[in-house]
Amino acid sequence: MPAATRYLGKAMKRKEDPRLIQGLAHYVDDLVLPHLQYAAILRSPYAHAKIRSIDVSKAQAAPGVSLVLTGADLRDRIGMVPCAAQIPDMKSAPRPVLALDRVRFAGEGVAVVVATSRYAARDAVDLIEVDYDPLTPVVDPEKAIQKGSPVLYDDHKDNIAYRWELEGGDVKAAFKNADKVVKQRLLNQRLIPVAMETRGVVAEYKPGERQLTVWSSTQIPHLLRTQIAAMLDLPEYSVRVITPEVGGGFGSKLNVYAEEALTGYLAMRLGVPVKWIESRRENFQTTIHGRDQIDDIEVAIKKDGTILGLRVRAIADLGAYYQLLTPLIPTLTGLMASGCYKIPAIRVELTGVLTNKMSTDAYRGAGRPEATYLVERALDLVAAELKKDPVEVRRKNFPKLAEFPYATPTGVIYDSANYPRSLDLALKLSGYAKLRREQAKARKQGRVMGVGISTYVEICAMGPSSAMPAGGWESATVRIEPSGMVNLMTGASPHGQGQETSFAQLGAEILGIEPGDVNVIHGDTAIVPYGIGTFGSRGTAVGGTAAYMALMKLRTKLATLAGFLMEEDPSKLVFDKMKIFSKAHPKKSIGFGEVVAAAYTAKTLPPGMEPGMDATSFFEPSNFTFPFGAHVCVVEIDKETGDVRLLKYIAVDDCGNVLNPLLVDGQVHGGIVQSFGQAMLEEAVYDEQGQLITGELTDYAIPRAADLPWLETDRTVTPSPVNPMGVKGVGEAGTIGATPALANAVADALAPFGVRHVDMPFKRERIWKLMQKGTRRAK
Amino acid sequence: MKLSGQYILPASPEKVWELLTDPVRLAKLLPGCERLDPDGPDRFKAAVKFGIAAISGKYAGTVEFAEKDPPKSMRMKISGKGIPGFVNGSGLIELAEKNGQTELRYTGEAQVGGMIASVGQRMIEGASKKIVDQFFAGAAEELKKQ
Amino acid sequence: MIPAPFEYVAPKTLDEALRLVDRHGDEAKIIAGGHSLLPLIKLRLAQPRYVIDIGRLHGMSYIREEGGQIAIGALTTHADVERSPLLRSKCPLLCETAASIGDVQVRNRGTIGGSLAHADPAADYPAAVLALDAGIVAASTSGTRTIAVTEFFVDMLTTALRPGEILSQIRVAPLTERTGTAYEKMHQPASGFAIVGAAARLKLGPGGKIEEAAVGITGLGPNAYRASGVESALLGKKASEKLFSEAANFASQGIDPLSDLHASAEYRREMAAVYVGRALGRAYARAQGKP
Repeated sequence: MPAATRYLGKAMKRKEDPRLIQGLAHYVDDLVLPHLQYAAILRSPYAHAKIRSIDVSKAQAAPGVSLVLTGADLRDRIGMVPCAAQIPDMKSAPRPVLALDRVRFAGEGVAVVVATSRYAARDAVDLIEVDYDPLTPVVDPEKAIQKGSPVLYDDHKDNIAYRWELEGGDVKAAFKNADKVVKQRLLNQRLIPVAMETRGVVAEYKPGERQLTVWSSTQIPHLLRTQIAAMLDLPEYSVRVITPEVGGGFGSKLNVYAEEALTGYLAMRLGVPVKWIESRRENFQTTIHGRDQIDDIEVAIKKDGTILGLRVRAIADLGAYYQLLTPLIPTLTGLMASGCYKIPAIRVELTGVLTNKMSTDAYRGAGRPEATYLVERALDLVAAELKKDPVEVRRKNFPKLAEFPYATPTGVIYDSANYPRSLDLALKLSGYAKLRREQAKARKQGRVMGVGISTYVEICAMGPSSAMPAGGWESATVRIEPSGMVNLMTGASPHGQGQETSFAQLGAEILGIEPGDVNVIHGDTAIVPYGIGTFGSRGTAVGGTAAYMALMKLRTKLATLAGFLMEEDPSKLVFDKMKIFSKAHPKKSIGFGEVVAAAYTAKTLPPGMEPGMDATSFFEPSNFTFPFGAHVCVVEIDKETGDVRLLKYIAVDDCGNVLNPLLVDGQVHGGIVQSFGQAMLEEAVYDEQGQLITGELTDYAIPRAADLPWLETDRTVTPSPVNPMGVKGVGEAGTIGATPALANAVADALAPFGVRHVDMPFKRERIWKLMQKGTRRAK
Repeated sequence: MKLSGQYILPASPEKVWELLTDPVRLAKLLPGCERLDPDGPDRFKAAVKFGIAAISGKYAGTVEFAEKDPPKSMRMKISGKGIPGFVNGSGLIELAEKNGQTELRYTGEAQVGGMIASVGQRMIEGASKKIVDQFFAGAAEELKKQ
Repeated sequence: MIPAPFEYVAPKTLDEALRLVDRHGDEAKIIAGGHSLLPLIKLRLAQPRYVIDIGRLHGMSYIREEGGQIAIGALTTHADVERSPLLRSKCPLLCETAASIGDVQVRNRGTIGGSLAHADPAADYPAAVLALDAGIVAASTSGTRTIAVTEFFVDMLTTALRPGEILSQIRVAPLTERTGTAYEKMHQPASGFAIVGAAARLKLGPGGKIEEAAVGITGLGPNAYRASGVESALLGKKASEKLFSEAANFASQGIDPLSDLHASAEYRREMAAVYVGRALGRAYARAQGKP
């Protein structure tokens, strides 16, 4: 990145915001087409049951109903819901778009009704009669793998989806040489992503042109197109996916869902466009969930706080079926089990378990929050065991700067970092030493106060193709139109990240024009070249780099043409303020538009130069990037009620170079808030019958603005060597770094009550009971 | 969900037993019961409309008596399903004579699924208690009439 | 989230509404602000044949002084209660309670009459009107009657309103000298309903003795109730923090607390004591003219 910049690195307000704020943006449900019909889905009330029979006759005869279909009607007409992840010796768990003869989670689709109005469709759903034969549901993942548990699939002998192991370093020796071994069982509860916009699909088929257009609220338009084409057995050129405005994804829309292919099929079969919009209740029951891991950890340590080794036995609850990346997500926990520490020996044993619940999959952070949580809790448990300050134990175990790129025993290579620097800054901003004094004073007054620290590293910018099921590159096409206006098409699919703004800043910087002249297009497979999508904090680091490369190609072409027209050395030209001029003769310049026009009129081109002005680049990263940071927070607990108040939050993040600090802050804020949700409030609860009893927002608590204090954010900048802009990605940093800081603060607060660890979420009653127990014990 | 409770009913255990096992009279007592038709020995098909206040739904299901030990104890099994979801319950009813009246104790378990389970968890327990109370209050009323 | 079909009727006068309620009986549900009924019908847990919208009736949203009392029209929104200057000076407990309900959108739509008639076991207003000894006015085709609030909440979602009656007005006495009130609530973090809500009204006599004490509790049992055990432990005694915390221990006396995902019965019982203690403390401070 150039040292002095005009737009890059500047806090530009988002170009997206005016339309969003004014209600002028278009989401899937805003789309109305002539003759549009509506689909509604009958869903199983049982978590586990055989379907004896389905009677659709009454629904079929209801007013306005055009079509009622069950799973049996769709057999061999629509392919299975795809899973792109493969783990060796993994059992199969194929999901039909509608259940065939067995349902395996409460909410699984059983039949679909299409009618002329949304009301008629929904009314008819209640007229379908299904005769279920209830089976015993498998709910608890630990019981699910015990002998004698009911099994979800008749052709499986148990519910173990796979066992996966990872070992690096001499683990046995580490534990043999340890002075102490610290053990803890940690629960990472199941979460519901709760995007503000639920899923939705509109499909239209034009038989003459053999063209199926699918509008879907997704993070991966191109991958979705490929999969829909495969599921419906259409040539890929017959399918176009358009992603209108997406009201939040958080990974929950990094998927291919049954309803996406189903709606496409219905539109083809009926010859009219069909819309399906997910209700919030359906969203809770049938859009992927996140986390849901049980981690038993053992840490081998020396008396001085040096960590020799780590053993993790993890159980991941995968739910009933595999969605796109379900089996893969928990393995990321294994890859990142070293945290930002030099742990010479690590062993991870992971068991993926099938249960009668909705599938888990990528939810903001996806496997890495679990890793950071277990490592950061481990560091605090070690500190508590040795009666040392958690800061001291962290410092002791950071790899040295000279060791970067640092290879962990789990097989990943951290690109660049300066962990002490971000920690120092966070400690300074929080007044850490003073906080500890305040805490000592508060404890004397009988107040319950805790300070929490987390130093984290995450794996981002997904990220080399060798490690990704469907490729890890990204594409961009930049086309400068004859008028000089720029269309930048990215294969990434931003849905709130703000890349319409940051990529416009990038384009303006490189071409010496205004950000307002760069229009960023995404999410339409007929316009944008094939891309992978937006997830895994890759939009800027991979998608942005592809845009950077395409822009540089055009800059070179523009310079060649301008040099030819001006009779100047193209390698010595400067692009600024809509002009191209020579460093040597600054007064001699040519307008940017003039050069572009020359490329299109094509009358005075240098020999061999093609007319026109566009370029496409595909960027294949050589590695992931590894953003990091240090978070510090302060909580106070109401002794009478167990209510935890977050009083102070300081986040220092290092995501390499920054294109737009406003966007980075926004990502960090949002991530911290979602972490707060996991730590304090959120938990998807299934009862013993496999019923999701947190089935609506009346019972599933998400954070609100008033729950949080002002978030103080700052940054250190350690550029990544993996891409030319030196950017690392920041989309998930907050959800990865913040959860353990909050958990450590609460455990720290409760230490005087004899509490070592408390599982999330820190609901009032849970905390209150621990304090009661601790007080009784003390008496 | 576990449910339990006890009631004093103003009649002898024999009379209480008679009442609880008489489908015609039972149908009147079961809150919202619209039909109760025999469906084999000690088994009845039921159509029930129940709920509290604005929340109500129609359920089709069965009522079954098992482990009968007249007039001391029996197990009553109820299952129903309707648009709001499904309910399965099984309860042991024990009758004991006490000063010319009957002390009835019940302990049981109920499972609720579907819409009511996923959005109504905070009221299910209270509502279930209320429905059971209604049933036994009705029974006491009926026995008083005799 | 799409309701089953129903017939929507919007009467123009209260008389017309009462005749409709009479005619349709069980098959009809009354809607005012809609914040209790709409979620139920959207989830199809309630499927009334008729929805009688009284939300558009004129002259039922007011807060005024009437014969030494304050009369509040049933259609008065929570937001109007919250902001009423009259209530702020003469019955601040209602303002404080209204401010703790749901969120801004809920307060802008929800009505006091609707909330009381629905009688959600965790609604906020019931605790406050109990502590205020309010009168609940019910209208029917045969006239109106006033129900003492202590008789009003019968069971979960069940009130003393008879079939054919519409709750039309709430009457409360203005605050007297040396009286303080307070509402203290533990929010359920998702819905904002009360896990426990305690409303207290204390009147101090000479020498700081408690002359009147009224405590209404919501969220704990199937319906809101007056904590008479707390009240009798306070009456005639000299106010003190110690007295309050002792009296608060009677908060759940005779009550079988509800238990759900967010709070067990045991925790609810303990929190009832904590929140009653807090409400008493604040009511006492206010009775002495402190904020």
